Amino acid sequence: MGFFTDTTVCIGCKACEVACKQWNDLASDGAEFRKGASYDHTGSLGASTWRHVRFVEMLAPSPELRAEAEAALAAGAGGNAPSIPAARGGGALPTPDELGGAGGGASADDVPDLVDWAEEGAAAEMDRWIFMSDVCKHCANAGCLDACPTGAIIRTELETVLIQPDVCNGCGYCIAACPFGVITRDPVDGRAGKCTLCYDRLQEGLEPACAKACPTDSIQFGPYDELVKTATGRVQELHERGVDGAYLYGAGDEPGDELAGGLGAFFLLTEPPERFGLPAEAESPVQENVVPATAAALGAGFLAAAGVAAAFLAGSRRR
Amino acid sequence: MSDDREPAPAVGTRAEPGAFRRAVEGARVALHRGRFGDARWSYLYGGDTRYRVDRVARDRVSAAARRARRGAPPDTVQGPVIQAPVWTWEVPLYFWFGGVAAGSSFVALACDLAGDPRSAATARKVALAGAAPCAPLLIADLGRPGRFLNMLRIVKPRSPMSTGAWALTVSGGLGALAVAADLARRPRLARAVGGANAVVGGYLGSYTGVLLSATAVPVWARSRAFLGPIFVASATATGAAACRLALVGGGLPSGHPTREAVGRVETCAIAAELALSAVNQRRLGELSPALEDGAAGRLFRGAKWMALAGLALRLARRASPFTHHLASGLYLAGGLAFRYAWLAAGRRSAADHEAVAREARR
Repeated sequence: MGFFTDTTVCIGCKACEVACKQWNDLASDGAEFRKGASYDHTGSLGASTWRHVRFVEMLAPSPELRAEAEAALAAGAGGNAPSIPAARGGGALPTPDELGGAGGGASADDVPDLVDWAEEGAAAEMDRWIFMSDVCKHCANAGCLDACPTGAIIRTELETVLIQPDVCNGCGYCIAACPFGVITRDPVDGRAGKCTLCYDRLQEGLEPACAKACPTDSIQFGPYDELVKTATGRVQELHERGVDGAYLYGAGDEPGDELAGGLGAFFLLTEPPERFGLPAEAESPVQENVVPATAAALGAGFLAAAGVAAAFLAGSRRR
Repeated sequence: MSDDREPAPAVGTRAEPGAFRRAVEGARVALHRGRFGDARWSYLYGGDTRYRVDRVARDRVSAAARRARRGAPPDTVQGPVIQAPVWTWEVPLYFWFGGVAAGSSFVALACDLAGDPRSAATARKVALAGAAPCAPLLIADLGRPGRFLNMLRIVKPRSPMSTGAWALTVSGGLGALAVAADLARRPRLARAVGGANAVVGGYLGSYTGVLLSATAVPVWARSRAFLGPIFVASATATGAAACRLALVGGGLPSGHPTREAVGRVETCAIAAELALSAVNQRRLGELSPALEDGAAGRLFRGAKWMALAGLALRLARRASPFTHHLASGLYLAGGLAFRYAWLAAGRRSAADHEAVAREARR
């Protein structure tokens, strides 16, 4: 069972976030408006945010907005530094000089320019204000599952990755081991938390709360193979319509190209993954690093022990 | 998310199931379809909607993904890509104490091999003293300290945190057993248990480097070949320094071969650590700012200068015993600063969204 999230039909309503919080009884993230210059108030996935609708704004923030965001960041409010690129195409705002000259006020000749700017620039970019409902990827090679020392994180019979909240002791290793930044530790609760793919609802034959709430079927839930079929068909449909940039993130890849062995929750994107805060390549960092690192460390450990012994034996022999 | 938020959820009581009873026993929810029937039903994308095509050229789909993921990276990374590690001050301190325990167990083994059982007994005591604070520190760092025993619920060889927890448990037990054997005047048993403890100590001193390497934090993961050796070197240096100070405190005379040997060991180990750190930092290239800027940079520079000052004092001509002791103290402090620096560097590296995204593309 898995999720297919189609960003081309997401309208950024955040119904999935709300449904997830309600069903799973998750705490609020606070009500900070325009965190980090984005209209997204949530910021990132975490222990109390298992679905997060990321707003990818393609418009340049105003200087006031940027200053406001930087002040909020400096005050420790969290969120992201404004990293919204300047609008493309006819994007740059006309300067007062271009508009009016020394006398002030726009002359009649300038008005068409302004309309052009609005049409080609801002308005054209507005439809590139894109949203992506991010969630735990339920990786085939899950870094969190590999890292968990207590066995709290398990692979369920539905091939999802689940943190058993009654076992987790909040060691925090899964947080650093997740290449997608999905997990955090709840500061009040002390345990790590992430999407369970509504394990409890699945037991009753219900689809997960977010998929149920999604008004545009941007979030689709179902058996993995069926979802991949839908998703690849959707990509091809978009290609035929001329959206050449559409691609699947996390499914339908050739063997060897998969992200973390293939993602149980995958996405249809139209921009490079980094625009959504996703890594272009990912693998379980534990599976990737633990063997070479252990070999180096153990080699060094035995070398050190031998070196210490040698230093002493050399000393005793001299005596 | 702020720390002072209201932890109570909107409904029900935290960590308890909500009370729910149907008005009519056995009633079904209206329009509900069981067995995921709802999931396959859509009023938007029905048979008359061109949502998707049915015949798919899968190679074209995978090629589109390859283009997007291997093509030109975008100008902007809208992070966060990964989450910063949550570990606080207890963890580097634990790494340091564990290192002291590991290094001391090496020294104890070497003393036994060189035929100095009295110094070996002292080193075993130092090893136990180093291992003793580890568990409380580790427990204090847990989100749920009351559940620390869950660490020993399973043995999981692929998780460095699990193997480390076991190494700490075994090492603490062996260290206590060895000291008890010393106190009970059972030298052969003490020697055997101390030797076993040195083997476990070889892992206890090095796994912490593996633990950091096996994460998504770029500066740690890219240092995977060096972090273990660096941590072993500083474990050996700090363990030998602690043993040296303990031996001197116990009245080992100047010029005694054990005292000289321990001094040589700590100096060589700290020199190895400095060299390995320098090579690693050079190798990290674009990532090295995480080690050079901010709190991490200050700690690294402090650690480096403490180690260098200790080396200078140790190698100075006509050094008094006091300067030698000061050098040992500087090694200990430098080792501690190195551990804190590595944690600070990891936090900084994880927060640098551009660098994380760039490293993922490599």
